[in-house]
Amino acid sequence: MATNGKATNIVWHKSSVGKLNRQELLEQKGCVLWITGLSGSGKSALACALCQALYSRGKLTYILDGDNIRHGLNRDLSFKAEDRAENIRRIGEVAKLFADAGIICIASVISPYRRDRDACRELLPEGDFIEVFMDVPLQICEARDPKGLYKLARAGKIKGFTGIDDPYEPPLNCELVLPQKGNDCASPCEMAETVISYLEEKGYLLA
Amino acid sequence: MSTVGNSTNIFWQESPVGKLERQKLLKQKGCVVWITGLSGSGKSTLACSLSRELYTRGKLSYVLDGDNLRHGLTRILVSKAEDRTENIRRVGEVAKLFADAGLICIASLISPYRKDRDACRAMLPDANFVEVFMNMPLELCEERDSKDLYKLARAGKIKGFTGIDDTYEPPFNCEIEINQKDGICPTPGAMAGEVVSYLEEKGYLQDQ
Repeated sequence: MATNGKATNIVWHKSSVGKLNRQELLEQKGCVLWITGLSGSGKSALACALCQALYSRGKLTYILDGDNIRHGLNRDLSFKAEDRAENIRRIGEVAKLFADAGIICIASVISPYRRDRDACRELLPEGDFIEVFMDVPLQICEARDPKGLYKLARAGKIKGFTGIDDPYEPPLNCELVLPQKGNDCASPCEMAETVISYLEEKGYLLA
Repeated sequence: MSTVGNSTNIFWQESPVGKLERQKLLKQKGCVVWITGLSGSGKSTLACSLSRELYTRGKLSYVLDGDNLRHGLTRILVSKAEDRTENIRRVGEVAKLFADAGLICIASLISPYRKDRDACRAMLPDANFVEVFMNMPLELCEERDSKDLYKLARAGKIKGFTGIDDTYEPPFNCEIEINQKDGICPTPGAMAGEVVSYLEEKGYLQDQ
């Protein structure tokens, strides 16, 4: 057995209370709602609206917000490319644990690179990773600029800001695109209902 | 504003559904039960039986086992001292998230260094950190050697193995200590019962 490199001195422990037990207790099926999009596209607003709407239906959710996570688990990471990838990887691993716990885990992160999002998808059983793309044009996001970041990026005070001098790679095959066609002015609550319909249809809101 | 190192371009996001609402929904109070002790001291056994005991009472828990996590969240880390610290830090941060979600998060890790465990305690607001020390003698753990690790460590094939050539620092002030009684180990059920009684007494298992 090696003492360097990947540890091999570890075994899997089976817990006698499993995913199915927890789902029965919660009357819901755990999954990850991965909300991706530019800064200002409305990810956090949707996450909050979803959280509220699901709570009112007696469902347990938890939001992993890119910003909140960077204050805790990922506070050691910067915005350099390799750290962005590690940021997303860790969020993916945590989201996987939450889904396994039976929670509807809402990850709300720019997550600009397709490869990193796809890697998170691979962590979960088929169907349990639900990618939601906030398809809002850059001009609209920039006009909103809720945190003043586009202004700073345009002034060259932030480097590598997604949408300005770093790419955003839209998903090629995500489960949901919001706002839906022909409903550009949908409110966060309306968009939340679209997501909830999807969850209902796929059986996540029943035991 | 910098773009490298710890960023300041990040904000706290408030959610209208908070910990109190989740706790009301779950009818319990979120906390972290941190089980520490030598390899083979019975941590995972207690984690399993505790989880089962809580489930029969309709309470939601989740086990973060050092071994399960190393396949995922902490897989890039290897067993050097500073990596142990980072390993424990990450588990602490995740346990904090689970407790905030309203769950009784059972973390089961050797976590040999006092400083690292205390750092996790400090992460949890309102003292929702219940440290459980599996105070079993090295001889007993080595005799069990359920994963053959002591054997390998004694043969010098694993370096820095806790209890053999790396220290285990017992807690000074843990909430629960599990000991042998007259040389006999308590059963998994009895150990779980002790922790459940503590949680009940402190109000974690009642309607919020």
